Amino acid sequence: MIHQLLWGLILLLAGGLVGCQVYAESAGKLNPDTDLSRETLTIAWIPKALDNPVFELGRQGAVQKATELTTSGPVQVEVLYVGSVAADAAEQVRVMEDVIARGVDAIAISCNDPTACIDPIQKAVAAGIPVMTWDSDSPESQRFTYLGVDNYQAGRAAADLLVRAMGPRGKVAILTGVPGAFNLEERIRGFKDSIAAYPGIQIVATVASNDDINLGVQLVEETMQAHPDLDGWFFVGMWPLFAERGSMPLWEEAALHRGMKTVAFDTLPVELELLRDGYLSGLVGQKYWGWGYDTIQIIYDHVIEGKSFPPFINSGMDIVTHNNVEAMLRAWKTNDFSQPLPDPFFPDPFR
Amino acid sequence: MDEKIVVPSRAGEKPALPRPLTWSWSILLGRQEFVVLVLLLVIGVFLSLRTDTFFTSRNLFNVARAFSWIAIAAFGESMVIIIGGIDLSVGAVMALAGLISALCLQAGLPVLVAVAAGLLTGGLVGGVNGVMVGRVKLPPFIVTLGTMSIARGVTFGLTGGWPVRNLPQGFRLLGQYDLPLGSWFLPLPVLVMLGLAALVSLLLGQTVLGRYIYALSNSERALLVCGVNTAQIRVLVYTLCGLLTAVGGLLMTARLGVAAPTAAVGYELDIIAAAVIGGTSLFGGEGSILGVLLGAAIMQVLRNGLVLLGFPAYWQAAAIGAMILVAILLDYWRRMSAAL
Repeated sequence: MIHQLLWGLILLLAGGLVGCQVYAESAGKLNPDTDLSRETLTIAWIPKALDNPVFELGRQGAVQKATELTTSGPVQVEVLYVGSVAADAAEQVRVMEDVIARGVDAIAISCNDPTACIDPIQKAVAAGIPVMTWDSDSPESQRFTYLGVDNYQAGRAAADLLVRAMGPRGKVAILTGVPGAFNLEERIRGFKDSIAAYPGIQIVATVASNDDINLGVQLVEETMQAHPDLDGWFFVGMWPLFAERGSMPLWEEAALHRGMKTVAFDTLPVELELLRDGYLSGLVGQKYWGWGYDTIQIIYDHVIEGKSFPPFINSGMDIVTHNNVEAMLRAWKTNDFSQPLPDPFFPDPFR
Repeated sequence: MDEKIVVPSRAGEKPALPRPLTWSWSILLGRQEFVVLVLLLVIGVFLSLRTDTFFTSRNLFNVARAFSWIAIAAFGESMVIIIGGIDLSVGAVMALAGLISALCLQAGLPVLVAVAAGLLTGGLVGGVNGVMVGRVKLPPFIVTLGTMSIARGVTFGLTGGWPVRNLPQGFRLLGQYDLPLGSWFLPLPVLVMLGLAALVSLLLGQTVLGRYIYALSNSERALLVCGVNTAQIRVLVYTLCGLLTAVGGLLMTARLGVAAPTAAVGYELDIIAAAVIGGTSLFGGEGSILGVLLGAAIMQVLRNGLVLLGFPAYWQAAAIGAMILVAILLDYWRRMSAAL
C-alpha cells in the first residue's frame, strides 16, 4: 500500500514538474508534405510564458508563415514552440540552454529579463545559432535584431486616444499590472508625458492589479467610488475587462450613461466587443500575430537569404476605434491579420 | 471512529483541551480575535472619518464579497494548520475548481452538475493531499507544493492559457446575486461565507471530531493510545480544506464570469495570512473560525481603504505587509503577557 502510494506520489510530482515546464513541441511539425530530402530550417520560437493567450496568437502566426515558406520555397521551415508556463527569467534561460543543446538553426525569443537573456544568447551565437528578439528585447546581447513595439510611444498613443475621446480636461485614473514591469512602466511614462501637455487633465489615481482579474475588478470599482466624477481611465493592460459584464457596475454605468471614456491596451476579442458596445473608446494593441508571422520571415531572410537587419525593427501598433473595430473582429474570426486596418481617426469617431 | 475522548494523563502528554466557545469578557479580552476586532474597528472608524465612501453599505458589502472567497478557503486552511499542517495548493485549487466548472458549463452541462464537478475537483485534490500527508506521512509543505504545481499546470493544460468566458447567467448569479434585505443588498457569497463559518465553527467547537482536530498536532500519541485513527482525521481535514477552497473558487469565478488559468495566483499566502492574523497558531492546536473571518476582513478592509484614500499603488503592498506584522506582533505580545 505504502509503496504504491509512494510511486503514485513520485508520478504526481513528476507530473507537476512537467506541468511547470510544459514543453509544447508541436507547432509546425505537422506539415503534410514533410520531405526528408529537403533542407530544413528549425526555428525555436520562445515566448515569455505559455500562460498568456496573446503568445498563442503569435504561435499561430509563426506556424502560418512557416507553412507559407515551406510551400513556396526550397526549404522546409519548422517552428519549435517552447517556453516556461509562467513568465520566469531563470526558467526561460534553462529553456534556451535546452534548445541550444538540442540543436536548432535559429532562435526567436521574447526575453523575460533583458540581462538574464544575455548569457544564453551569447552561448547560442557561439554555437553558431543566430538569435533575434521579439516583443521584449535584450539590447546588450548579440541578437541580430529586435522586432517590437516602442512601449513609450504606445503609451503616448493611448494618451492621444483618451484626449481625443474625452477632451482636454478632466480627471483620469490609471490601472496597471505588476508595479515595476518594464513594458507597463514605459507605457505609463509615455502616457503621463503626453498628458502633461494638457494642464486641464489631472491624474487622480494609479492602482495596480498585480495582473489579477479579480483584484483589477475590485480596484476599478473602488476607484469609481473614491472618484465618482472620474472622466477617463487608462487600463495599461486588459485585466478587469476579462470579467463578464455586470461585474463592474459603477464603471459600466459611468461608461454608458455618464460619458466616461476608457482607453485600454491590447486588442483581444473581448475588448473589441466592449468597444463596439460603447464601453471603451479606443484600444492600443501590439501585433501579436506578427510576433510569429514577421519573426519567421525575418529569420528566413537572415539565415537563408543572408540579409542583414537593423538592430531595431518597429513592428508598429494597432490603434482600434469605432472606425475599424469590425475589421479587427473579422481578423480574429478568420484568423487572418495580414490586411491593414481602416484609419482609426478618419472620419473622426469621437464626434 | 472511536468515540473515546478522555485522554489518559499517564500518556505523559498534556490532555488536549478544545478551546471553549464561551463568550465571557475575560476570555474574549485574552483572544486574538478581540485584538483583530479592535484593530478592524480602529481602521474602520479612521476610514469612515477620512472618506465619505468607506462607510456605505455598498462599499462594505463589496469589501465583504471580495474577502468572502478568501475567508471560505481560509476556514479550510485554518483546520489544516490547527492539525499542524499547511496547504499551499489552495490558490491553485481555487483556479482549478472554477475552471472545471466553467468547462462543464461550456460543454452544456446544467449548473448543478458543473458546480458539483468543481467541488469534487477541490475535494479530490484535498483528498490526495490528505492521503499523502496522513497515510504516507510525507511533509505537508512538499506534498501541497507538488499538488499546487499540478493543479496550476492542469489549468494551463486545459485552456492553453485562454480564460474561459461566456458562462451562463444561472451560474454567474451564484457570485453576483445580491439578496435584498430591507434597504440592504446582501451579496450571495457573503451569505455562503457566513453559513459555512457557522457550520465549520460547530464542527470544531461542538463535535468529537472537532476535539480530535484541536488535539491532533500536540497530542497525537495520546489520541493514538485512545485508538483514534489520526491518519483518517488528516485525510478528512485536507479533503474538507480542498472542498471549502473549491467553494471559494466557484464563487469567485461566478462573480467575475470568467475562469482564468492565472486566477488566484499567490492567494495561498493571503489565505494563510488570514488564518494566522486571526489567531490560528502555525504550531497547531489553536485557532477559531471567527478569528479567520476577522483576519480575512482586515486585509481586505485595509486594501480597500488604501485605494479609497488614494494611497500610492506602489506602496500598498508594503503597507499591507506592515499591517500583517502589526497583527502578528499584537498576538505575540498578548501571548507573552498571558504567559507571565
